[in-house]
Parts: sequence; C-alpha cells; structure tokens
Amino acid sequence: MISPTFFTLAVIGYVCATGLALAYLVQRQDLIHRLGSVATLGGWVCHSLALVIRGVEMGRPPLASLPEAVSVAVWVVVLLEMWAERHYGVKVLGAFVLPVAVMLSMSAVGRPLEGPDIDRALSGAWLWVHIGLALIGIAAFVLNFAGAVMYLLQERALKAKRPGTFYYRLPSLETLDRLTYRTLALGFPFLTTGLLLGALWARRVWGSIFAFDPLALFSFVAWAIYAATLAGRAAAGWHGRRAAYFAIIGFAALVLTLGAGFLLPGRHGS
Amino acid sequence: MGLFVAGMNHRTAPVAVREQLALEEDKLREILREVLAGGGIAEAVIVSTCNRVEVYGVAEVPGEARAVVFRHLCHQRGLDVASVDVFLYTHVDRDAVSHAFRVAASLDSMMIGEPQILGQVKDAFALAQSCETVGPALHSLFTHAFAVAKKVRTETDVGRYAVSVSFAAVELAKKIFDGLSGRTVLLVGAGKMGELAARHLVEQGAFPIYVANRTWSRALEMARALSGTAVPFDELTTALASADIVITSTGAHEPVIRRDMVAGVLHGRRGRPLFFIDIAVPRNVEESVEALEDVYCYDIDDLKQVVDANLRERRREAQRAETLVEREVGKFLARLADADVIPTIVSLRERLESIRLGEVKKTMARLGDAPPETRDAIEALSSAIVNKILHAPITKLRESSRAGHGRSWTELVHELFGLGRQG
Repeated sequence: MISPTFFTLAVIGYVCATGLALAYLVQRQDLIHRLGSVATLGGWVCHSLALVIRGVEMGRPPLASLPEAVSVAVWVVVLLEMWAERHYGVKVLGAFVLPVAVMLSMSAVGRPLEGPDIDRALSGAWLWVHIGLALIGIAAFVLNFAGAVMYLLQERALKAKRPGTFYYRLPSLETLDRLTYRTLALGFPFLTTGLLLGALWARRVWGSIFAFDPLALFSFVAWAIYAATLAGRAAAGWHGRRAAYFAIIGFAALVLTLGAGFLLPGRHGS
Repeated sequence: MGLFVAGMNHRTAPVAVREQLALEEDKLREILREVLAGGGIAEAVIVSTCNRVEVYGVAEVPGEARAVVFRHLCHQRGLDVASVDVFLYTHVDRDAVSHAFRVAASLDSMMIGEPQILGQVKDAFALAQSCETVGPALHSLFTHAFAVAKKVRTETDVGRYAVSVSFAAVELAKKIFDGLSGRTVLLVGAGKMGELAARHLVEQGAFPIYVANRTWSRALEMARALSGTAVPFDELTTALASADIVITSTGAHEPVIRRDMVAGVLHGRRGRPLFFIDIAVPRNVEESVEALEDVYCYDIDDLKQVVDANLRERRREAQRAETLVEREVGKFLARLADADVIPTIVSLRERLESIRLGEVKKTMARLGDAPPETRDAIEALSSAIVNKILHAPITKLRESSRAGHGRSWTELVHELFGLGRQG
C-alpha cells in the first residue's frame, strides 16, 4: 500500500508548515513564509495523492470511517487556508489554522482506518454526499474559528493600547470580522445540508433522527450554535467580539462532536 | 586607487558645524569640478544634507583627498579646515562600501529607517554624474547601494512603523478599518496637530471630512483648508453618528465628547468601529468612552506609547537589516574583485584559443581529405587541452583577487603568457 506513505509525508509537511508559520509570526521574514507555503502545498499535494490512491484501492470515496473523514476535512481545511491567505492577504493565517489541521490529523492517527461495517444496502450516493457536505462545512468552521481567535487578539491589543506581536502581524479588525463572517456564511449551508441528509437517511433506516448516536446529537448542538450566530449577525447586527465568542463556542461544540465520534459507541463508529 | 568615504554626520559633528557645510547645488558643482581638476582624486560624489556632509571617492591617498575636498568645502564658508577636522571620519575599501550601503539603506540616519536619505543620496549621485565626476567604481558602488536600500526596505520592516504621533494615529486606524478610503473623518477643534493628523488621513483616501469648532468662522476656514464641510458645534452628536474617525484637539477644559453622546449613537452604527484620536490636553474625550464596545480611544500618551513600541520594532528590524547589508557588501566586493581579473582571464583565453586555432588549421591542411570524424576529434581534443590548461590559472586568479592580491597575479599571468601591456 502506497497511501500510508503519502499520508505520513502529508502530516510531516503540515507539521513543518505549522512550525514555520509560528516562526513567521515571531520573526517576520519572507523566506520563512515562503518555506511555510511550500511545506503547506507539498503536504497538501501528498495528501491529495494519498486520498486518491486510497479511494482507488478501496473502490469507494475515502469517507467511510471517521478517521478517513477527518483526513478529508483536514484536506479541505488546508485548501481553504491557502485560498484565504491569498484572498485576504493575511500572511499569518497559517499560524492559526495549521495547528488545528495538525491536531485533527493527529486525532486520526493510530485509529483503524476501517470504519464500522456499513451495510451494503445502506451505502449509496446519499451517504457520500452527507459526509462530504458536512466535512466542507466543518473545514470552513476551522477557518471561522481561526478568524475569531485573530479578531479577539487584535481587538485586545487595540483596547490595551500596547502594540505587541499580534498588533503588528494581524490585519485590521474589519478584515478579520469579514473573514469570520464569510467562513460562517460558507460553512453553514454545507453543514446544514449535510446534517439534513444524514437525518433524513437515519430516519429512513433506523426510524429515528438521532438513533442513539452521540455524534449526531453533538453535531446538532454545534449546528444550533452556528445557526444562532448567523441569525444574530444577519438580523441583529451581531459582529466583532460577540460573533467571535460564538464562533469559538461553536467550534468547541464541533470538537466535542468529533470527540464523541471517536470515544463513544455509535453509528458513526468509534 | 581605492574607494573611500570621508565626512561628518549627526553623530560626529554638532549641528552648528553641519549646517555651515551644507551647501547648495551650484557650490557643490563647483567644488566637484575643482576637486577632480586638482588631480589625486579620480572620482567623487558629495552627499550634503542637514545630517551629513560626506564625500565618496576614488583616490590614491584617501587622507589627502579628504583634506582637499574639505579645504574646498570650508573655503566656501570661510571656515578653518582645522576646526572641522576633529569631526571627520574616513573609511576605506570594505568599510567605505559598508558605509555607503548603510547610509543609502537609512541605517546610519538619525531616525533609523527614515525614507528621505535615499532620495538625497540619489540626488547627490545625479549631481556628480552631471558634473562627470562619476567613474565606473562609484557608478557600481552607488547603483549597488540603491539596490541594497530597496532590498532592506522590502525585506525588513525598518522603515515601516510610524515614528510620529500623527502617523501612528493613521497606522492605528488601518488596524481598525479595512483601508481608509471613504472613511468619514470628524475634526473637532482647530489645533495644528489635529489638522496634521486629518491631513494624513485624507492622503490615505479618507473622505468626507467634517470640521466642528466653537468659533464658526474658524470651522469654515479649517474646512476650506481640508476640502471638508463645517458642522455647527452643537450638532456634534449628529456628526458622531456618521463619523468613523474622530480627531479632537480643542482647548476645552471639560470633555467635549461625553460617554452618553457616544453611547447614544452606537446602536445606529450597527457595529461600525469608532476611533477617537484625542490629542488635546486636557483630554477632550471622557475617559469612560473607551469602555464602550467597538470604540477605540487613544489619547496623546497612548499614541506616544505606540510610537515608542514602533521605535523598538524598528531597532529590532535594523539588526536584521545590518546582517543583510553585510552580506551585500561581501557580494559587491567579490564582484568588484572579479572585475579586476576578468580582462586578464579574457585575454588569456583568447591567446590560447588563437594558438589552438592556428595549430588545428595547420594540422587539418596536412591531413588532406581525412573523414569528418577525424576532424571533429581533433577539434574536440585541442579544445579539451586548452580548457584543462586554463582551469588552474583562472581559478587561481579569481581566488587571489577575492583575497585582495589579484593585481600581482594578473601581472604575473601577463608576463608568463606575453599578453601585452596591462591597462
């Protein structure tokens, strides 16, 4: 099997990129940033190869087990990070996103790649769409979280009136707030559709939406938090610090969801 | 002939001395021509600003050259050379190159990273060029210095952070707002500092500008100066509702902007940040205002604190810039050294090549109708022999020139291979 090698290379690339991104935060040196970008891209290319090879080997999308799904989520996160960094001109974005990507990758390491036996009759296009959409949503929320953390750091620096590393390296509050809003607006429809498909499917197969599945329960909580944030932003003019706190709470709920998936028995496998 | 720089700067000479030697262009032209006409100096550029008076040049004896140039400079002002001599420094060769690079990159400036010096050095260079006192050595020194200055500016943050209170305010605004174009500025009071800060904001695209002042005529006047609109002082609250950046600089003894005024307009702003720049003493903005959400309030002390932090950041970046400059000095000297030996290498190669071609031609003639493969083989063989022979002397020439004694080796090679007279 070749794919584990590429997976390993991808993780090594991401770890290097994280180190370089953090170094760039402290020492603004273009060379460090360029090396970091190369490591990110290199890791991501290896990751893509690994996913393709795995998909071909298994004869299905590499999304059947939770570790696989997490891996794909990381792949989307890194892709989004590379895009957002260019689009918003936030060169330090990697320092806030890549550590999360690495932690997610690590959570999947050492777990059996094979998921629970998915009943042949149950699997089908719907299943892959359910997983795929949810993952894109989750990836957008990783960036949402990073944007919120950066906003709070910059806001604190400005209120404290003591310019430090973050004041110098981070972009304006408005840019960060917009990044947080955009990623929320991007992630939410994907998460919603993904969860909806999952729920409909669960009801048809098991007769109940949650079907005693902890992951499904937690993901609904996370969804509710994001729904509230989006509603608050769109209707009540929430923004800035409050929106950032909600982004962090929502992300915490997502992490719990993932933890529940890994640790508690349920339909999504453990 | 060697590169040198001699002169005084803000560290070695008091302003009373520097100001006397800061000369206008016509005078400099005159001096440049005279200095070169006098002999002993092959090339010269004079940099004369309020913080430095320096001559960059190529001369046989730098000490003498320095004396000549400063005699001329002092003569213009009727000064005694001996009285300025104590303030002068002289750098030669490597140190001169390093000094030129550091000056152009603004690392030797009184305010490290200030951008004007590069323009001043460029002007001085252009002036010398127009007087035809720039030769190949100074030409390559200055063009390289300009490139280094640009590199320092792009690769380090040495000139990046504001070191004046009014620019620090602009910089802060850029950390709050996503660009300043189209941001509404409200200027309260007619202080000089407030006007300056407003001007900086306008330069960054801020628009429209509203001016409020207790004296209506003064408001109108200031509004005209800034291409803005005057608003009545008692409609300040209304103006606050639409403003993004508020600069206060009135002489009032009671706060002009109170918490209840700001709190009242916040809801209608739907989270748009509001930035107060309070440069008045006593302060015009009530202290409790800054506790409000989305409101950022910097008084004069806060701005000074930002400036101090910026200065620390600049110094930190200057350390990196110094390393970069040192590396560039090494590169420049290596190239300079190569330039010393390249003519020798070229003529050596030409000499051997002409011998080879002559011999090959003779041999070919003798061979008659030999097959083309044989001819190709002879070509290849002779070329290979020439290249093998050339390899060691060329390497040695390059090495020796970089080590600083290329001259004796080029002479030796010329002698050994009969390369004709050295230029």
